[in-house]
Amino acid sequence: MKPVRTLWIAGILAAGICLAGQAAAGPAGDRCLECHGDSTIEKMLPGGKAVSLFVDQKDYRASVHGKGECAGCHAGATSPHGKLAPVSCGRCHAAAGKSYSESTHGLDRAKGNRDVPGCADCHGRHDIRKPSDPKARTFRLNIVAVCLACHKDRTIEEKYRLPDQVVMEAYEQSVHGMAMRKSGLLGAAVCPDCHGNHRILPGDQPRSATHRQKIPTLCGKCHSGILETYEQSIHGKGMRGGIAESPVCTDCHGEHTITKITDPASRVFARNIPKTCSSCHEKEAISSRYALPKKRLSTYMDTFHGVALEYGMTTAANCASCHGFHDVLPASDPASSVNKANLPRTCGKCHPNAGVNFAKGNVHVEVAYGKATGVFAVRVFYTVFISVLVLMFVLHVGMDLLGRRRRSPQATEETKK
Amino acid sequence: MKTMRGESGGPVQVIRMSFMFRVQHLLLMVSLFVLAVTGFELMYHENRLSRFLIDLEGGILNRGIIHRAAAVALMAQLVFHVFYMLVSRAGRREFREFLLTAKDFDDFLQAIRFNLGLAGEYPRFGKYGYKEKFQYWGATIGIFLISLTGIVLWAENVSMRFLPKFMLDLTLIIHGYQGLLIFVILLFWHLYIVHLHPSVFPMNRAWLTGRVDAEWLREEHPLEYEKLKGEGVL
Repeated sequence: MKPVRTLWIAGILAAGICLAGQAAAGPAGDRCLECHGDSTIEKMLPGGKAVSLFVDQKDYRASVHGKGECAGCHAGATSPHGKLAPVSCGRCHAAAGKSYSESTHGLDRAKGNRDVPGCADCHGRHDIRKPSDPKARTFRLNIVAVCLACHKDRTIEEKYRLPDQVVMEAYEQSVHGMAMRKSGLLGAAVCPDCHGNHRILPGDQPRSATHRQKIPTLCGKCHSGILETYEQSIHGKGMRGGIAESPVCTDCHGEHTITKITDPASRVFARNIPKTCSSCHEKEAISSRYALPKKRLSTYMDTFHGVALEYGMTTAANCASCHGFHDVLPASDPASSVNKANLPRTCGKCHPNAGVNFAKGNVHVEVAYGKATGVFAVRVFYTVFISVLVLMFVLHVGMDLLGRRRRSPQATEETKK
Repeated sequence: MKTMRGESGGPVQVIRMSFMFRVQHLLLMVSLFVLAVTGFELMYHENRLSRFLIDLEGGILNRGIIHRAAAVALMAQLVFHVFYMLVSRAGRREFREFLLTAKDFDDFLQAIRFNLGLAGEYPRFGKYGYKEKFQYWGATIGIFLISLTGIVLWAENVSMRFLPKFMLDLTLIIHGYQGLLIFVILLFWHLYIVHLHPSVFPMNRAWLTGRVDAEWLREEHPLEYEKLKGEGVL
């Protein structure tokens, strides 16, 4: 019986505290609302602008703070009162307050910049709801509009030289934006998923959530299977090894502009892949620094694969078709899809008869002596042969025409005889 | 061969290309033209004109289909031509005229000597001189080689079973340059013989009418002229 009695006592005590709390908040709130419950109450700012001082009781009661009292935030408020001290959310929300103070927004606000958002600009004032509440301003499906209210605003963008409006707008058309806006998916990435919420910093700062070094882990929060594959790839290993040039997710996929791979605008759409890969692999500095084979793009574009892809035949093999993408490895790695031993299988994906015999020889054929000597020799032979032939044709024709002037009367005469 | 006497005192004409040869020539011309256009636009795919032509044909896939269709026509002609030249009576007669002999080589050297002013006499040709024979055999061998490599490339899935990739690379490059070679022969040599040569300029009309002037024959192919005269055709 003993535990049951303890529970009873605890229950009664809890109920008592709640009632007492409400009893304390109730009258106090009511007293404030005697004035602030009037929807026409406003004050004039020095500039002559009117600001409403109305507090919607219904909204407030439904808010996350609805069970509290006005004085909980507006400390020292009496009735009637003059100018109150600013509300300090950080008094209760210390961690959030600290994070915010370290953010770009917080740092600027500390300097007195009123354009940057404070707590209320994102969370609301009397109507603050939990982020999990679909009616909250910070609810997953609502937060983008809150961020874009400023970040799509041309005057703000220009004033602070923020990333072009277009970049921000691009998010709305991106695969994440569409999933959020059109499909209403809660799993769709929204601004704070990547940028963080309170401690938002520009991506070039090491502490930023969107700093290069953190991108794979960041994307991996949702795309965890891909992260696992990427970590095994040469790009992933390089990135983890501290090589800043090693590509992270956004280098290939883009960030705000990220679209489905089936979208022709995507950087990883089949037709755009050679361009995307070669944006690093055609760079002299990069291929020298990491001892990568050169002329990979030109030797690809010269093949039928390259030509066909260039002309829009997306079934033709692109870089990723053979090398893989998230799992890309150097050919020297036995696990690589382009390792000599694996070539028959890799080629066989499209060409079922391409066996061990076929895999002999280079795939990227650089027509040069010592690299593809056979092809080089044939090309030289034909070039010389055709050139000499043309030269001889021209010579012969020229001589024939000259000689003919001598011939005509003679020939005619002869046959007449 | 028959002689044609021009009405109202027109020039005397002789048949140089029989109907069968004119048909073969026309088909060859059309298929080679299509093959050259669809082939070179792939070989020189970076060229802007190539891009325009490929788009005109409805994409790279259609280009391949057109190229292969023309190739089938060309190869069918090659097979037909071989049989025609070896089996039919008219073909065999023509084939004998086309056979290379030591005289052709001598003629070639003598023509050069004459053109350089080292010999006093220009060689006297039969129905086909060394120019025509070079043209004929060059094109025939070229077409044979380009057909062979073309088949290997077309049946790439079968080829891959037997040939290593570098062999296919070789096949591809031979196919392309062989095409260029045939094109060059046609452009320089054939154009010269039948269009630019002063005796036929602007065009030898035999490929359309089948006939040439007896006078032309007498000047350019005197041995044939004399042969026809001896046979009583002229």
